[in-house]
Amino acid sequence: MTERTISERADYLSRRRARSLPFLAIIYFTQQVTFLSALGNGPHRDVDHFKIGAWVVLSVVLLLALATKGFWLQPKPVRDLIDDESTRANRLDAMRIGFLFACSAALAAYFIAEFQPLTVGEAAHLVLTFGLGAALIRFGFLERRAHRDA
Amino acid sequence: MPEHLANRIKERRTELGLTQAALAERVGVTRKTVNTVENGVFTPSTLLALKLAESLDVTVERLFWIEE
Repeated sequence: MTERTISERADYLSRRRARSLPFLAIIYFTQQVTFLSALGNGPHRDVDHFKIGAWVVLSVVLLLALATKGFWLQPKPVRDLIDDESTRANRLDAMRIGFLFACSAALAAYFIAEFQPLTVGEAAHLVLTFGLGAALIRFGFLERRAHRDA
Repeated sequence: MPEHLANRIKERRTELGLTQAALAERVGVTRKTVNTVENGVFTPSTLLALKLAESLDVTVERLFWIEE
């Protein structure tokens, strides 16, 4: 693979990620609507367990994509180039926003629990959903802005 | 008044007949990073600023300055 190919490939993948992140975040949040509306309604049905399982898998994949360079099937030079200085800065900022949202969700869970009992799983679900979702949206926004020409 | 890092990357790049992609390749970053530094969206590290200056054949002080 030549240098030019590596650069072009990295640029293409980086643009594709910037375009797809907001949609992934929307899918991720949409997936939670059923769960959040049934919050504190007692034991889960079998279908709920399946949905929660799907949410856990998606959360782990998104978390790994956000916390690592991502593009695991690409050659190392391409992965290294995609994860250059501005991308790392954008990721750190996204993580910061995600942390603040996760803390806010934890506080919200604490207050909700004063009026309606929450299980540990439900509280963790809230914290992870809002923390990870916010980080994804922020990362997507920053990456799209970075690709935009002045 | 807030300070920000101004630059003449675009001016120097155009003088040398380089595209953003070509400069990015010289420096070893993506075109996106060159774009953000050039537009003042992203403040580069010292390392990247030095690499950019070297690739554009100017001193780092000529390429970047603080503007109010």
